[in-house]
Amino acid sequence: MEEQPPATDYTQAEAYEPMEQGVADLVEALPDFPGFERRSWNELPCSHGGLDDSDYTSIEIRYTFSEAVSATTQVREDYLDELRTYWSELGLDIHRDDASGTGKYHSIEARREDGINFYYSVGYQVGLMIQSGCVPRSDVSELTYIPPSGGIVPGSEQDTVAHDSHYFPEGVPTDQAAAIDPFATAQPVSGPVPFDPPASYEGHL
Amino acid sequence: MSDMSWKDLRDLDCAAIQSGGYAWAGYVDRMVEQSERLRTDVIAGHLSIENYESDTATQVREHIDLFTGRFEDDLSDYAQTRVRTALLEASEALKAEQDELLELVGLIEERAYEIEGDKHDYEVNPSGELHRSIYLHLDPPQWLCDRVGIDKPSAWYDLVGEAEVMSRLGDFYELAKELGAQYQDRLRAIMSRAHDADDEAAAALTAMREAPPELPPQLGATYDDLIDDYKAELSEEVAAEMEAIFNGESDLSPEQVNQWWEGLSDAEREALIAEHPEWVGPTDGIPVDVRDTANRTVLDDQITGLDQEIADIEQQMDAINADYEAGRPNDSPVSYSELQERLEELRQDRDQLADLDSRIQEPHPDTGQEYFLLGFGTEGEGQAIVSVGNPDTADNVNVYVPGTGADLGGAGYDNGGLMNRIDSMAYDAMRFGKGEETATVLWLDYDAPDGVVGEARDTALAEAAADDLGSFTDGLRATAEGEPSNLTMTGHSYGSTTVGIAARDEGLDVDNMVFIGSPGVGVDSAEALGIDPDNVWASRNPDDVIEYGMVHGEDPTGEEFGGNTFTSEATREGEHPFPGGGNVLLGAAGGAVAAVDGAVANHSAYWDDGNISRENMAFIATGQEGEVE
Repeated sequence: MEEQPPATDYTQAEAYEPMEQGVADLVEALPDFPGFERRSWNELPCSHGGLDDSDYTSIEIRYTFSEAVSATTQVREDYLDELRTYWSELGLDIHRDDASGTGKYHSIEARREDGINFYYSVGYQVGLMIQSGCVPRSDVSELTYIPPSGGIVPGSEQDTVAHDSHYFPEGVPTDQAAAIDPFATAQPVSGPVPFDPPASYEGHL
Repeated sequence: MSDMSWKDLRDLDCAAIQSGGYAWAGYVDRMVEQSERLRTDVIAGHLSIENYESDTATQVREHIDLFTGRFEDDLSDYAQTRVRTALLEASEALKAEQDELLELVGLIEERAYEIEGDKHDYEVNPSGELHRSIYLHLDPPQWLCDRVGIDKPSAWYDLVGEAEVMSRLGDFYELAKELGAQYQDRLRAIMSRAHDADDEAAAALTAMREAPPELPPQLGATYDDLIDDYKAELSEEVAAEMEAIFNGESDLSPEQVNQWWEGLSDAEREALIAEHPEWVGPTDGIPVDVRDTANRTVLDDQITGLDQEIADIEQQMDAINADYEAGRPNDSPVSYSELQERLEELRQDRDQLADLDSRIQEPHPDTGQEYFLLGFGTEGEGQAIVSVGNPDTADNVNVYVPGTGADLGGAGYDNGGLMNRIDSMAYDAMRFGKGEETATVLWLDYDAPDGVVGEARDTALAEAAADDLGSFTDGLRATAEGEPSNLTMTGHSYGSTTVGIAARDEGLDVDNMVFIGSPGVGVDSAEALGIDPDNVWASRNPDDVIEYGMVHGEDPTGEEFGGNTFTSEATREGEHPFPGGGNVLLGAAGGAVAAVDGAVANHSAYWDDGNISRENMAFIATGQEGEVE
């Protein structure tokens, strides 16, 4: 039986960077990425002896698509297939892949060896949640701002972390909050590709 | 205290009470027409400025206008708010209980049980007829044979069938007794709620007799004095009414408070918010946005006051130190250690309030909803009622009642379990909310048990909270704008006991109840909660140690309870404490608690990352029960 919350690879301050890097890698792997609408950092309690233990916390980073994007087949269906392939190729443990009661919604989750969990949720609004599990709490002064991925402009209104006075009471560093191209990681839509026809189809059919 | 028996309730003519309420409503309408005539025909007609133009005439017109306003206020306060609403609320509440009683009494009579005992503590026992059918004739009724699981003897000469009955007499006894206990549980809950409704109506009507309307204020020496005095007295009177409501001396229900509030002029409301926010903020029945404004003012004032008090004490401690270092005698009436202790208490209160204040400044990072502060305090372990989103305008409202260990410190950032939970619930409701708005409320307005042993095994704290939770729920219903919201009450751990006991004793006007990791909800069947059992939900993850601490009634996740269940996962590491089952009580010894630490951790796992319980709770709160797994 455990006497403390489970051991982790990271402290709170250390966990944000690999978690955010995981999002960036995932966005890179998803074709024609439409861009998230919003990012936030959140924490959930860890308990010990039946009571919440303030020495530990559980980070949940949330990226959410807009309502319009959430309604598209691309993010509701196609990305489920893409993620199954992507996480399988990485050798991740896909420990959940199921639909809600009537099949209207879908959830797929995969966990890395370092304990970080990726949870892609197809609800009315579609979102990606990255979860640390219980990690030792760090003083907020130790936390470093990590720019967002998936088309969210660092420091913008959609990057709610940058405006959270709890995490960054003095604001975020301006060099990190500089505007970037929101479509930098987007890929062109696939379509017919021209090719040079052979002189004869003899032997090709 | 109401002396109503179950037979009184059965035979009550609720329609007559309702007719009385409507008759008073009609009277109010007719009287308002007369006061309106006074304004139009007299003030703006015969005595209009066109006919009488002088300072005296102006003052007379103003006097009549004030007098008319006073008459309308009294109509609103007494005939409308008290008499009409008391009668209609009583008839509605008693009719609901009467309907449930008739259904229950039908079952009791059909199955040959009988109701005995005191009207505040009824018992439902098998009748002599039922006893004889089992023990004398060995021919129990079909429904009881079905429960025992044997065939009913086909005739008096079916000796094989009778022998089987004989061999199972113990089971017949136990199951007949068990069903009687369920009926008794439900009957007591019905009567408790009916007595409450009766008492509330009686209190409202009695208060009218004991506190009749004040006569118009005394006239002054001149019209100038008269009108100035009158205006001042009206303002003081409104403040006195607000204070009486806040102190619970007015006996107004939240719906009546809402009617009273709506009857005030804009100027009167603004004056109350500005001058007495400490009364306006906590009062159920006042609109949520108004309460939020008032409470934030009080919160700011309290933080400023605590800062000042802390500075004063630090100054006194510095003076003691300076005297000590200079070798001077110190004449402070309070010792250094006492000041130190007081300082720590004040700093804790200050930090917790500042933390709460910080949590409600910015909108929710994901849903964009504003926070609304509906109540707070530092007394005891502290209180906090905070909503993500405005319950008065939301399509869905989900009220979360926390359990063991909940306190004001848990509402802030550093120990932020409670606020983080409602933040997550709000996010989950947005993800699955069909585009509708869901307001998610943390209701920590009671003294929750400090630990999983001791107080948590007693229902006293839940019983003490029942009235406040009922009032809060009625307040949400009274202030809601537009169509009534889909209102869910979610209780975790001891919070589920609090919700169940409030439903049993006070009646909760909600659409759904959700019990998470519950040690029992104070009743043995979903039917005793006063809502459709189809709308009662419960869940317990497979490694939650609360399974062994079912001390407050039937397990709400059990089939016998009669509600619905949904899936939750044990997301925290730890083994099942007693893999082969067992009956180890949670509070048997401190050592036993330590030994099951992993399973104790899973008692709080329902809001963990990726736990399917989060989705299921969101489906219920957003009216999508068909999606629940």
